[in-house]
Amino acid sequence: MIALAVGIPWVAAVALLFLDGRRRWVGWLAVTAAAAGFGTVAALAALVVVDGPREVVAGGWPPGVGIVLRADALGVAFAVLSSGVLLVALAQQVIAGVRSRTFPALVLFLATGLTGLFLTGDVFNFYVFFELSMIAAYVLTTYGGRARQTGGAFIFAVVNLLGSFIFLIAVAAIYHVTGTLEMRAVADQLAVVEPSTVILIAVALFVAFGVKLGLFPFHFWLPVVYAGARPTVAAILGGALANIGSYGVLRFGAGLLPRELELGAVALLVIGGASIVYGSLQAVSRRTAPEVLAYSSIGQVGYVLVALSVGGRAGLAAAVVFALVNSLNKALLFLTVELRGWLVGAAFAVGALSVTGVPPSAGFFGKAALFRAGLDAGDVAVVVLLFLGGALSFVYMFQIYQRDHWRPASATAPGGSSPLAARAIAIGLAMLVIALGVWPEPLISIGEDAASALLGGR
Amino acid sequence: MILVISLVVAILFGAGAYLLLKPDLFRVIVGVVLVSHAANLALMGSGLSRGQPPIYPLPFSDGISDPLVQALTLTAIVIGFAVTTLLLGLVVRVYRSHFAPDLDEVARAEARREAELERDEVSI
Repeated sequence: MIALAVGIPWVAAVALLFLDGRRRWVGWLAVTAAAAGFGTVAALAALVVVDGPREVVAGGWPPGVGIVLRADALGVAFAVLSSGVLLVALAQQVIAGVRSRTFPALVLFLATGLTGLFLTGDVFNFYVFFELSMIAAYVLTTYGGRARQTGGAFIFAVVNLLGSFIFLIAVAAIYHVTGTLEMRAVADQLAVVEPSTVILIAVALFVAFGVKLGLFPFHFWLPVVYAGARPTVAAILGGALANIGSYGVLRFGAGLLPRELELGAVALLVIGGASIVYGSLQAVSRRTAPEVLAYSSIGQVGYVLVALSVGGRAGLAAAVVFALVNSLNKALLFLTVELRGWLVGAAFAVGALSVTGVPPSAGFFGKAALFRAGLDAGDVAVVVLLFLGGALSFVYMFQIYQRDHWRPASATAPGGSSPLAARAIAIGLAMLVIALGVWPEPLISIGEDAASALLGGR
Repeated sequence: MILVISLVVAILFGAGAYLLLKPDLFRVIVGVVLVSHAANLALMGSGLSRGQPPIYPLPFSDGISDPLVQALTLTAIVIGFAVTTLLLGLVVRVYRSHFAPDLDEVARAEARREAELERDEVSI
Protein backbone atom coordinates (compact mmCIF):
# COMPACT_ATOMS: atom_id res chain seq x y z
CA MET A 1 0.00 0.00 0.00
CA ILE A 2 2.80 2.43 0.87
CA ALA A 3 4.80 1.36 -2.17
CA LEU A 4 1.67 1.85 -4.27
CA ALA A 5 1.20 5.40 -2.95
CA VAL A 6 4.71 6.31 -4.14
CA GLY A 7 4.62 4.09 -7.23
CA ILE A 8 1.43 5.30 -8.92
CA PRO A 9 2.51 8.90 -9.48
CA TRP A 10 6.05 7.79 -10.35
CA VAL A 11 5.01 5.36 -13.08
CA ALA A 12 2.49 7.86 -14.42
CA ALA A 13 5.11 10.63 -14.44
CA VAL A 14 7.61 8.53 -16.39
CA ALA A 15 4.93 7.54 -18.89
CA LEU A 16 3.74 11.13 -19.30
CA LEU A 17 7.26 12.29 -20.14
CA PHE A 18 6.83 10.60 -23.51
CA LEU A 19 3.56 12.37 -24.26
CA ASP A 20 2.91 15.96 -25.20
CA GLY A 21 1.45 17.58 -22.10
CA ARG A 22 -0.18 20.37 -24.11
CA ARG A 23 -2.83 18.02 -25.42
CA ARG A 24 -6.08 17.98 -23.52
CA TRP A 25 -6.35 14.22 -23.13
CA VAL A 26 -2.81 13.96 -21.82
CA GLY A 27 -3.65 16.62 -19.27
CA TRP A 28 -6.73 14.76 -18.13
CA LEU A 29 -4.76 11.51 -18.02
CA ALA A 30 -2.33 13.24 -15.66
CA VAL A 31 -5.24 14.48 -13.54
CA THR A 32 -6.59 10.92 -13.37
CA ALA A 33 -3.20 9.58 -12.29
CA ALA A 34 -2.87 12.33 -9.68
CA ALA A 35 -6.37 11.50 -8.44
CA ALA A 36 -5.44 7.81 -8.21
CA GLY A 37 -2.33 8.72 -6.22
CA PHE A 38 -4.37 10.97 -3.97
CA GLY A 39 -6.95 8.22 -3.46
CA THR A 40 -4.26 5.70 -2.47
CA VAL A 41 -2.68 8.11 -0.03
CA ALA A 42 -6.10 8.92 1.45
CA ALA A 43 -6.90 5.20 1.85
CA LEU A 44 -3.50 4.71 3.48
CA ALA A 45 -4.26 7.61 5.80
CA ALA A 46 -7.57 6.02 6.79
CA LEU A 47 -5.78 2.73 7.56
CA VAL A 48 -3.12 4.50 9.61
CA VAL A 49 -5.67 6.49 11.61
CA VAL A 50 -7.67 3.35 12.41
CA ASP A 51 -4.92 0.72 12.84
CA GLY A 52 -1.84 2.74 13.73
CA PRO A 53 1.44 3.14 11.81
CA ARG A 54 2.34 0.79 8.98
CA GLU A 55 5.77 -0.16 7.81
CA VAL A 56 7.34 -1.77 4.75
CA VAL A 57 10.96 -2.79 4.32
CA ALA A 58 11.97 -2.48 0.69
CA GLY A 59 13.13 -5.61 -1.10
CA GLY A 60 12.05 -8.03 1.65
CA TRP A 61 15.20 -7.39 3.73
CA PRO A 62 15.04 -7.80 7.49
CA PRO A 63 14.33 -4.50 9.32
CA GLY A 64 17.55 -2.71 10.17
CA VAL A 65 19.18 -3.81 6.92
CA GLY A 66 16.74 -2.76 4.21
CA ILE A 67 15.38 0.68 3.53
CA VAL A 68 12.24 1.39 5.53
CA LEU A 69 9.08 3.08 4.35
CA ARG A 70 6.90 4.02 7.28
CA ALA A 71 3.49 5.68 7.34
CA ASP A 72 2.51 7.31 10.62
CA ALA A 73 -0.10 9.95 11.39
CA LEU A 74 2.27 12.89 10.81
CA GLY A 75 3.52 11.58 7.47
CA VAL A 76 0.15 10.64 6.01
CA ALA A 77 -1.44 13.93 7.09
CA PHE A 78 1.16 15.88 5.12
CA ALA A 79 1.08 13.40 2.23
CA VAL A 80 -2.71 13.64 1.86
CA LEU A 81 -2.62 17.42 1.96
CA SER A 82 0.26 17.76 -0.53
CA SER A 83 -1.09 15.33 -3.08
CA GLY A 84 -4.51 16.96 -2.73
CA VAL A 85 -3.08 20.41 -3.41
CA LEU A 86 -1.10 19.09 -6.39
CA LEU A 87 -4.22 17.40 -7.79
CA VAL A 88 -6.25 20.60 -7.52
CA ALA A 89 -3.52 22.80 -9.00
CA LEU A 90 -2.94 20.39 -11.88
CA ALA A 91 -6.67 20.18 -12.61
CA GLN A 92 -6.93 23.94 -12.69
CA GLN A 93 -3.97 24.32 -15.01
CA VAL A 94 -5.37 21.67 -17.36
CA ILE A 95 -8.68 23.53 -17.48
CA ALA A 96 -6.90 26.79 -18.23
CA GLY A 97 -4.75 25.04 -20.86
CA VAL A 98 -1.22 23.72 -20.35
CA ARG A 99 1.39 25.57 -22.37
CA SER A 100 4.38 23.37 -21.77
CA ARG A 101 5.13 19.81 -22.83
CA THR A 102 6.40 18.60 -19.50
CA PHE A 103 4.12 20.36 -17.00
CA PRO A 104 1.84 17.37 -16.12
CA ALA A 105 4.77 14.96 -15.82
CA LEU A 106 6.64 17.38 -13.56
CA VAL A 107 3.67 17.80 -11.24
CA LEU A 108 3.47 14.02 -10.91
CA PHE A 109 7.21 13.79 -10.24
CA LEU A 110 6.71 16.35 -7.53
CA ALA A 111 3.86 14.24 -6.14
CA THR A 112 6.16 11.18 -6.12
CA GLY A 113 8.92 13.05 -4.35
CA LEU A 114 6.62 14.54 -1.73
CA THR A 115 4.74 11.32 -1.00
CA GLY A 116 8.01 9.42 -0.69
CA LEU A 117 9.51 12.06 1.53
CA PHE A 118 6.58 12.04 3.94
CA LEU A 119 6.45 8.24 4.05
CA THR A 120 10.11 7.33 4.29
CA GLY A 121 11.70 6.10 7.50
CA ASP A 122 15.27 6.55 6.34
CA VAL A 123 17.29 9.75 6.63
CA PHE A 124 19.21 9.35 3.39
CA ASN A 125 16.11 8.38 1.43
CA PHE A 126 14.57 11.55 2.78
CA TYR A 127 17.37 13.43 1.02
CA VAL A 128 16.82 11.53 -2.24
CA PHE A 129 13.07 12.21 -2.29
CA PHE A 130 13.77 15.77 -1.19
CA GLU A 131 16.01 16.32 -4.23
CA LEU A 132 13.52 14.59 -6.52
CA SER A 133 10.77 16.97 -5.52
CA MET A 134 13.06 19.99 -5.52
CA ILE A 135 14.34 19.31 -9.04
CA ALA A 136 10.78 18.97 -10.29
CA ALA A 137 9.96 22.23 -8.52
CA TYR A 138 12.91 24.09 -10.06
CA VAL A 139 11.72 23.18 -13.53
CA LEU A 140 8.08 23.94 -12.65
CA THR A 141 9.06 27.44 -11.54
CA THR A 142 10.25 28.21 -15.07
CA TYR A 143 6.73 27.43 -16.32
CA GLY A 144 5.55 30.39 -18.31
CA GLY A 145 9.02 30.82 -19.79
CA ARG A 146 9.24 34.60 -19.45
CA ALA A 147 12.25 36.45 -18.12
CA ARG A 148 10.72 36.80 -14.65
CA GLN A 149 10.08 33.08 -14.29
CA THR A 150 13.52 31.97 -15.44
CA GLY A 151 15.27 34.58 -13.30
CA GLY A 152 13.18 33.53 -10.30
CA ALA A 153 13.81 29.85 -10.99
CA PHE A 154 17.57 30.38 -11.06
CA ILE A 155 17.60 32.14 -7.70
CA PHE A 156 15.23 29.51 -6.29
CA ALA A 157 17.45 26.67 -7.52
CA VAL A 158 20.75 28.09 -6.29
CA VAL A 159 19.56 29.07 -2.82
CA ASN A 160 17.67 25.85 -2.25
CA LEU A 161 20.55 23.73 -3.54
CA LEU A 162 22.76 25.31 -0.93
CA GLY A 163 20.10 24.34 1.64
CA SER A 164 19.98 20.78 0.28
CA PHE A 165 23.74 20.35 0.51
CA ILE A 166 23.75 21.64 4.06
CA PHE A 167 21.11 19.01 4.76
CA LEU A 168 23.31 16.36 3.11
CA ILE A 169 26.24 17.36 5.30
CA ALA A 170 23.93 17.05 8.33
CA VAL A 171 22.97 13.54 7.13
CA ALA A 172 26.67 12.66 6.91
CA ALA A 173 27.14 13.98 10.44
CA ILE A 174 24.18 11.94 11.70
CA TYR A 175 25.65 8.82 10.13
CA HIS A 176 29.03 9.55 11.63
CA VAL A 177 27.63 10.05 15.13
CA THR A 178 25.06 7.25 15.17
CA GLY A 179 26.24 4.75 12.56
CA THR A 180 22.73 4.29 11.20
CA LEU A 181 20.29 6.08 8.92
CA GLU A 182 17.01 4.53 10.04
CA MET A 183 15.02 7.29 11.73
CA ARG A 184 13.96 5.43 14.87
CA ALA A 185 17.43 4.01 15.47
CA VAL A 186 18.87 7.48 14.88
CA ALA A 187 16.48 8.92 17.47
CA ASP A 188 17.48 6.24 20.02
CA GLN A 189 21.18 6.80 19.41
CA LEU A 190 21.03 10.58 19.47
CA ALA A 191 19.22 10.48 22.81
CA VAL A 192 22.37 9.14 24.51
CA VAL A 193 24.97 11.30 22.72
CA GLU A 194 26.20 14.54 24.34
CA PRO A 195 23.94 17.41 23.25
CA SER A 196 27.01 19.57 22.57
CA THR A 197 27.88 17.27 19.63
CA VAL A 198 24.37 16.99 18.34
CA ILE A 199 23.52 20.68 18.56
CA LEU A 200 25.65 21.38 15.48
CA ILE A 201 23.73 18.79 13.49
CA ALA A 202 20.49 20.30 14.77
CA VAL A 203 21.57 23.76 13.63
CA ALA A 204 22.53 22.49 10.16
CA LEU A 205 19.17 20.75 9.81
CA PHE A 206 17.34 23.83 11.02
CA VAL A 207 19.14 26.03 8.47
CA ALA A 208 18.32 23.57 5.68
CA PHE A 209 14.61 23.52 6.53
CA GLY A 210 14.56 27.22 7.32
CA VAL A 211 15.69 27.91 3.75
CA LYS A 212 12.93 25.64 2.49
CA LEU A 213 10.27 27.33 4.61
CA GLY A 214 11.50 30.86 3.93
CA LEU A 215 11.89 31.76 7.59
CA PHE A 216 12.96 35.31 8.36
CA PRO A 217 16.76 35.29 8.01
CA PHE A 218 16.58 32.78 5.13
CA HIS A 219 13.60 34.27 3.33
CA PHE A 220 15.35 36.45 0.72
CA TRP A 221 14.68 34.12 -2.22
CA LEU A 222 10.99 33.60 -1.52
CA PRO A 223 9.20 36.79 -2.65
CA VAL A 224 10.95 36.87 -6.06
CA VAL A 225 10.02 33.27 -6.73
CA TYR A 226 6.44 33.27 -5.45
CA ALA A 227 5.56 36.57 -7.06
CA GLY A 228 7.33 35.70 -10.31
CA ALA A 229 5.89 32.21 -10.80
CA ARG A 230 2.53 31.56 -12.44
CA PRO A 231 -0.31 31.42 -9.86
CA THR A 232 -0.80 27.66 -10.25
CA VAL A 233 2.90 27.08 -9.70
CA ALA A 234 2.87 29.48 -6.75
CA ALA A 235 -0.03 27.47 -5.29
CA ILE A 236 2.03 24.30 -5.73
CA LEU A 237 5.08 25.91 -4.11
CA GLY A 238 3.16 27.45 -1.22
CA GLY A 239 0.64 24.66 -0.70
CA ALA A 240 2.67 21.51 -1.33
CA LEU A 241 6.41 22.18 -1.50
CA ALA A 242 6.60 24.37 1.62
CA ASN A 243 5.24 21.37 3.53
CA ILE A 244 8.73 19.84 3.25
CA GLY A 245 10.00 22.55 5.55
CA SER A 246 7.26 22.21 8.17
CA TYR A 247 7.40 18.42 8.04
CA GLY A 248 11.18 18.44 8.23
CA VAL A 249 11.26 20.76 11.22
CA LEU A 250 8.64 18.61 12.96
CA ARG A 251 10.12 15.22 12.08
CA PHE A 252 13.76 16.05 12.63
CA GLY A 253 13.31 18.64 15.36
CA ALA A 254 10.61 17.07 17.50
CA GLY A 255 11.04 13.46 16.39
CA LEU A 256 14.81 12.96 16.22
CA LEU A 257 16.31 15.80 18.24
CA PRO A 258 13.83 16.60 21.04
CA ARG A 259 16.50 17.58 23.58
CA GLU A 260 18.20 19.96 21.17
CA LEU A 261 14.80 21.41 20.30
CA GLU A 262 14.26 22.24 23.95
CA LEU A 263 17.72 23.80 24.19
CA GLY A 264 16.95 25.97 21.19
CA ALA A 265 13.38 26.87 22.17
CA VAL A 266 14.19 30.52 22.81
CA ALA A 267 16.01 30.85 19.47
CA LEU A 268 13.02 29.28 17.71
CA LEU A 269 10.63 31.69 19.43
CA VAL A 270 12.77 34.68 18.44
CA ILE A 271 13.17 33.58 14.80
CA GLY A 272 9.50 32.65 14.54
CA GLY A 273 8.45 35.96 16.05
CA ALA A 274 10.77 37.88 13.73
CA SER A 275 9.28 36.01 10.74
CA ILE A 276 5.75 36.84 11.83
CA VAL A 277 6.43 40.54 12.36
CA TYR A 278 8.69 41.00 9.33
CA GLY A 279 6.45 39.02 6.94
CA SER A 280 3.28 40.78 8.06
CA LEU A 281 4.76 44.28 7.91
CA GLN A 282 6.21 43.67 4.44
CA ALA A 283 2.90 42.19 3.29
CA VAL A 284 1.03 45.29 4.45
CA SER A 285 3.35 47.46 2.37
CA ARG A 286 3.01 45.48 -0.89
CA ARG A 287 0.48 46.17 -3.59
CA THR A 288 0.10 43.18 -5.90
CA ALA A 289 -1.69 40.09 -4.63
CA PRO A 290 1.13 37.57 -5.36
CA GLU A 291 3.66 39.69 -3.49
CA VAL A 292 1.39 40.15 -0.48
CA LEU A 293 0.76 36.41 -0.39
CA ALA A 294 4.49 35.68 -0.68
CA TYR A 295 5.31 37.86 2.33
CA SER A 296 2.31 36.49 4.14
CA SER A 297 3.80 32.98 3.72
CA ILE A 298 6.96 34.17 5.46
CA GLY A 299 4.81 35.43 8.31
CA GLN A 300 2.62 32.35 8.53
CA VAL A 301 5.46 29.82 8.80
CA GLY A 302 6.66 31.77 11.80
CA TYR A 303 3.65 30.44 13.71
CA VAL A 304 4.77 26.84 13.11
CA LEU A 305 8.09 27.69 14.69
CA VAL A 306 6.48 29.48 17.62
CA ALA A 307 4.27 26.44 18.24
CA LEU A 308 7.36 24.21 18.16
CA SER A 309 9.14 26.40 20.65
CA VAL A 310 6.21 26.03 23.06
CA GLY A 311 6.71 22.30 22.65
CA GLY A 312 5.00 19.51 24.52
CA ARG A 313 2.02 17.61 23.24
CA ALA A 314 -0.21 20.65 22.81
CA GLY A 315 2.49 22.67 21.07
CA LEU A 316 3.33 19.93 18.58
CA ALA A 317 -0.32 19.26 17.81
CA ALA A 318 -0.81 22.99 17.25
CA ALA A 319 2.21 23.11 14.94
CA VAL A 320 0.86 20.22 12.84
CA VAL A 321 -2.67 21.63 12.61
CA PHE A 322 -1.40 25.09 11.80
CA ALA A 323 1.02 23.86 9.12
CA LEU A 324 -1.74 21.85 7.43
CA VAL A 325 -4.28 24.66 7.52
CA ASN A 326 -1.71 27.18 6.32
CA SER A 327 -0.86 25.14 3.21
CA LEU A 328 -4.53 24.77 2.41
CA ASN A 329 -5.05 28.54 2.76
CA LYS A 330 -2.08 29.37 0.58
CA ALA A 331 -3.16 26.95 -2.15
CA LEU A 332 -6.67 28.45 -2.15
CA LEU A 333 -5.46 32.05 -2.20
CA PHE A 334 -2.84 31.60 -4.92
CA LEU A 335 -5.35 29.72 -7.08
CA THR A 336 -7.88 32.55 -6.85
CA VAL A 337 -5.35 35.28 -7.69
CA GLU A 338 -5.99 35.27 -11.42
CA LEU A 339 -9.62 34.19 -11.38
CA ARG A 340 -12.44 36.66 -11.66
CA GLY A 341 -16.17 36.31 -11.69
CA TRP A 342 -19.11 35.09 -9.75
CA LEU A 343 -18.31 33.84 -6.22
CA VAL A 344 -14.52 33.91 -6.72
CA GLY A 345 -14.40 36.96 -4.49
CA ALA A 346 -16.22 34.94 -1.86
CA ALA A 347 -13.71 32.09 -2.20
CA PHE A 348 -10.89 34.59 -1.77
CA ALA A 349 -12.60 36.09 1.27
CA VAL A 350 -12.89 32.64 2.83
CA GLY A 351 -9.16 32.11 2.35
CA ALA A 352 -8.43 35.56 3.73
CA LEU A 353 -10.60 34.93 6.81
CA SER A 354 -8.87 31.61 7.28
CA VAL A 355 -5.43 33.26 7.22
CA THR A 356 -6.63 35.81 9.74
CA GLY A 357 -8.15 33.10 11.88
CA VAL A 358 -11.79 34.13 11.96
CA PRO A 359 -14.37 31.37 12.60
CA PRO A 360 -15.98 29.44 10.94
CA SER A 361 -12.90 28.82 8.82
CA ALA A 362 -10.22 26.18 9.31
CA GLY A 363 -7.68 28.88 10.16
CA PHE A 364 -9.54 29.60 13.39
CA PHE A 365 -8.68 26.17 14.76
CA GLY A 366 -5.05 26.50 13.71
CA LYS A 367 -4.79 29.75 15.64
CA ALA A 368 -6.95 28.47 18.52
CA ALA A 369 -4.72 25.43 19.00
CA LEU A 370 -1.67 27.70 19.08
CA PHE A 371 -3.38 30.03 21.50
CA ARG A 372 -4.25 27.23 23.87
CA ALA A 373 -0.73 25.83 23.70
CA GLY A 374 0.64 29.29 24.51
CA LEU A 375 -1.74 29.78 27.43
CA ASP A 376 -1.02 26.29 28.80
CA ALA A 377 2.68 27.05 28.79
CA GLY A 378 1.97 30.44 30.38
CA ASP A 379 3.93 32.10 27.58
CA VAL A 380 2.93 35.76 27.29
CA ALA A 381 5.19 36.38 24.27
CA VAL A 382 3.32 33.76 22.21
CA VAL A 383 -0.07 35.24 22.96
CA VAL A 384 1.09 38.77 22.16
CA LEU A 385 2.67 37.60 18.89
CA LEU A 386 -0.55 35.85 17.92
CA PHE A 387 -2.60 38.99 18.44
CA LEU A 388 -0.14 41.19 16.60
CA GLY A 389 0.23 38.79 13.65
CA GLY A 390 -3.53 38.30 13.46
CA ALA A 391 -4.23 42.03 13.37
CA LEU A 392 -1.61 42.65 10.68
CA SER A 393 -2.82 39.75 8.55
CA PHE A 394 -6.32 41.19 8.73
CA VAL A 395 -5.01 44.46 7.31
CA TYR A 396 -3.04 42.99 4.43
CA MET A 397 -5.55 40.33 3.39
CA PHE A 398 -8.38 42.83 3.10
CA GLN A 399 -6.20 45.32 1.30
CA ILE A 400 -5.90 42.79 -1.52
CA TYR A 401 -9.58 41.96 -1.32
CA GLN A 402 -10.48 45.60 -1.66
CA ARG A 403 -8.07 46.15 -4.52
CA ASP A 404 -8.89 43.07 -6.56
CA HIS A 405 -12.51 42.27 -5.87
CA TRP A 406 -14.24 45.50 -4.92
CA ARG A 407 -13.58 47.30 -8.17
CA PRO A 408 -16.04 47.09 -11.02
CA ALA A 409 -15.43 43.90 -12.98
CA SER A 410 -14.16 45.72 -16.07
CA ALA A 411 -11.27 47.34 -14.19
CA THR A 412 -9.86 44.17 -12.73
CA ALA A 413 -10.52 41.46 -15.28
CA PRO A 414 -9.36 42.34 -18.74
CA GLY A 415 -10.34 38.94 -20.12
CA GLY A 416 -13.81 38.78 -18.56
CA SER A 417 -14.61 36.09 -16.02
CA SER A 418 -12.69 32.83 -15.88
CA PRO A 419 -13.78 29.34 -16.98
CA LEU A 420 -16.59 27.93 -14.87
CA ALA A 421 -14.69 24.74 -13.99
CA ALA A 422 -11.66 26.69 -12.72
CA ARG A 423 -13.93 28.80 -10.54
CA ALA A 424 -15.73 25.68 -9.32
CA ILE A 425 -12.40 24.25 -8.11
CA ALA A 426 -11.55 27.42 -6.19
CA ILE A 427 -15.00 27.49 -4.64
CA GLY A 428 -14.74 23.79 -3.78
CA LEU A 429 -11.48 24.45 -1.93
CA ALA A 430 -13.13 27.36 -0.10
CA MET A 431 -15.99 25.04 0.93
CA LEU A 432 -13.41 22.58 2.24
CA VAL A 433 -11.82 25.32 4.34
CA ILE A 434 -15.23 26.19 5.78
CA ALA A 435 -16.15 22.54 6.27
CA LEU A 436 -12.96 21.97 8.27
CA GLY A 437 -13.86 25.01 10.32
CA VAL A 438 -17.39 23.81 11.01
CA TRP A 439 -16.36 20.22 11.70
CA PRO A 440 -12.74 20.41 12.90
CA GLU A 441 -12.81 17.04 14.66
CA PRO A 442 -10.72 15.12 12.03
CA LEU A 443 -8.17 17.93 11.78
CA ILE A 444 -7.66 18.17 15.53
CA SER A 445 -7.54 14.41 16.03
CA ILE A 446 -4.92 14.01 13.29
CA GLY A 447 -2.91 16.76 14.95
CA GLU A 448 -3.08 14.88 18.27
CA ASP A 449 -2.16 11.59 16.59
CA ALA A 450 0.79 13.20 14.84
CA ALA A 451 1.99 14.74 18.10
CA SER A 452 1.83 11.39 19.88
CA ALA A 453 3.61 9.72 16.93
CA LEU A 454 6.40 12.27 17.33
CA LEU A 455 6.58 11.90 21.11
CA GLY A 456 6.32 8.11 20.92
CA GLY A 457 9.17 7.97 18.43
CA ARG A 458 11.69 8.86 21.12
CA MET B 1 42.96 10.98 7.29
CA ILE B 2 39.76 12.31 8.78
CA LEU B 3 41.53 15.57 9.58
CA VAL B 4 42.71 15.90 5.97
CA ILE B 5 39.23 15.17 4.67
CA SER B 6 37.59 17.67 6.98
CA LEU B 7 40.11 20.32 5.95
CA VAL B 8 39.41 19.63 2.28
CA VAL B 9 35.67 19.77 2.94
CA ALA B 10 36.10 23.10 4.68
CA ILE B 11 38.18 24.54 1.83
CA LEU B 12 35.78 23.28 -0.83
CA PHE B 13 32.76 24.63 1.01
CA GLY B 14 34.44 27.97 1.61
CA ALA B 15 35.51 28.32 -2.02
CA GLY B 16 32.05 27.28 -3.18
CA ALA B 17 30.33 29.76 -0.88
CA TYR B 18 32.66 32.52 -2.11
CA LEU B 19 31.85 31.76 -5.75
CA LEU B 20 28.12 31.61 -4.94
CA LEU B 21 28.27 35.27 -3.97
CA LYS B 22 29.69 36.35 -7.36
CA PRO B 23 27.40 38.10 -9.81
CA ASP B 24 28.60 35.96 -12.75
CA LEU B 25 26.14 33.09 -13.24
CA PHE B 26 28.75 30.57 -14.38
CA ARG B 27 30.79 31.19 -11.25
CA VAL B 28 27.64 30.66 -9.21
CA ILE B 29 27.25 27.25 -10.84
CA VAL B 30 30.87 26.32 -10.17
CA GLY B 31 30.21 27.39 -6.59
CA VAL B 32 27.23 25.02 -6.37
CA VAL B 33 29.34 22.21 -7.80
CA LEU B 34 32.09 22.82 -5.25
CA VAL B 35 29.61 22.88 -2.37
CA SER B 36 28.06 19.65 -3.65
CA HIS B 37 31.50 18.02 -3.70
CA ALA B 38 32.13 19.26 -0.19
CA ALA B 39 28.93 17.47 0.86
CA ASN B 40 29.95 14.28 -1.01
CA LEU B 41 33.34 14.27 0.63
CA ALA B 42 31.78 14.85 4.04
CA LEU B 43 29.55 11.85 3.36
CA MET B 44 32.62 9.76 2.47
CA GLY B 45 34.45 10.96 5.55
CA SER B 46 31.54 10.11 7.85
CA GLY B 47 32.06 6.37 7.52
CA LEU B 48 35.76 6.11 6.89
CA SER B 49 37.22 2.92 8.33
CA ARG B 50 40.19 0.71 7.53
CA GLY B 51 39.47 -2.94 6.85
CA GLN B 52 38.93 -5.83 4.46
CA PRO B 53 36.89 -5.19 1.33
CA PRO B 54 33.22 -5.84 2.08
CA ILE B 55 32.73 -8.53 -0.59
CA TYR B 56 30.68 -11.64 0.06
CA PRO B 57 31.70 -14.15 1.50
CA LEU B 58 32.81 -11.82 4.27
CA PRO B 59 36.27 -12.44 5.72
CA PHE B 60 36.14 -13.54 9.35
CA SER B 61 39.21 -11.55 10.29
CA ASP B 62 38.58 -8.37 12.25
CA GLY B 63 37.08 -5.34 10.56
CA ILE B 64 35.52 -4.80 7.20
CA SER B 65 35.34 -1.31 5.81
CA ASP B 66 31.97 0.39 5.63
CA PRO B 67 30.39 -0.06 2.17
CA LEU B 68 27.34 2.06 2.91
CA VAL B 69 28.95 5.49 2.63
CA GLN B 70 30.25 4.70 -0.84
CA ALA B 71 26.78 3.79 -2.02
CA LEU B 72 25.40 6.96 -0.46
CA THR B 73 28.11 9.11 -2.02
CA LEU B 74 27.52 7.56 -5.42
CA THR B 75 23.83 8.45 -5.17
CA ALA B 76 24.70 11.96 -4.02
CA ILE B 77 27.16 12.42 -6.90
CA VAL B 78 24.53 11.39 -9.42
CA ILE B 79 22.03 13.82 -7.91
CA GLY B 80 24.65 16.57 -7.92
CA PHE B 81 25.42 15.85 -11.57
CA ALA B 82 21.74 16.02 -12.56
CA VAL B 83 21.35 19.28 -10.68
CA THR B 84 24.40 20.78 -12.39
CA THR B 85 23.03 20.02 -15.86
CA LEU B 86 19.70 21.50 -14.83
CA LEU B 87 21.40 24.67 -13.60
CA LEU B 88 23.38 25.00 -16.83
CA GLY B 89 20.14 24.66 -18.75
CA LEU B 90 18.58 27.36 -16.59
CA VAL B 91 21.52 29.68 -17.26
CA VAL B 92 20.98 29.27 -20.99
CA ARG B 93 17.33 30.23 -20.48
CA VAL B 94 18.25 33.23 -18.33
CA TYR B 95 20.83 34.27 -20.90
CA ARG B 96 18.28 34.04 -23.69
CA SER B 97 15.65 36.05 -21.88
CA HIS B 98 17.91 38.71 -20.36
CA PHE B 99 20.80 38.64 -22.87
CA ALA B 100 23.29 38.64 -20.01
CA PRO B 101 24.93 35.85 -18.00
CA ASP B 102 25.17 38.25 -15.10
CA LEU B 103 22.99 38.64 -12.02
CA ASP B 104 23.51 42.41 -11.89
CA GLU B 105 21.99 42.71 -15.34
CA VAL B 106 19.07 40.50 -14.29
CA ALA B 107 18.55 42.63 -11.20
CA ARG B 108 18.55 45.78 -13.30
CA ALA B 109 15.91 44.27 -15.59
CA GLU B 110 13.84 43.45 -12.48
CA ALA B 111 14.19 47.02 -11.24
CA ARG B 112 13.06 48.41 -14.60
CA ARG B 113 10.01 46.16 -14.51
CA GLU B 114 9.17 47.26 -10.98
CA ALA B 115 9.44 50.88 -12.00
CA GLU B 116 7.01 50.25 -14.85
CA LEU B 117 4.59 48.62 -12.43
CA GLU B 118 4.81 51.64 -10.13
CA ARG B 119 3.98 53.95 -13.01
CA ASP B 120 0.97 51.82 -13.97
CA GLU B 121 -0.25 51.92 -10.40
CA VAL B 122 -0.02 55.71 -10.29
CA SER B 123 -1.78 56.16 -13.62
CA ILE B 124 -4.71 54.05 -12.40
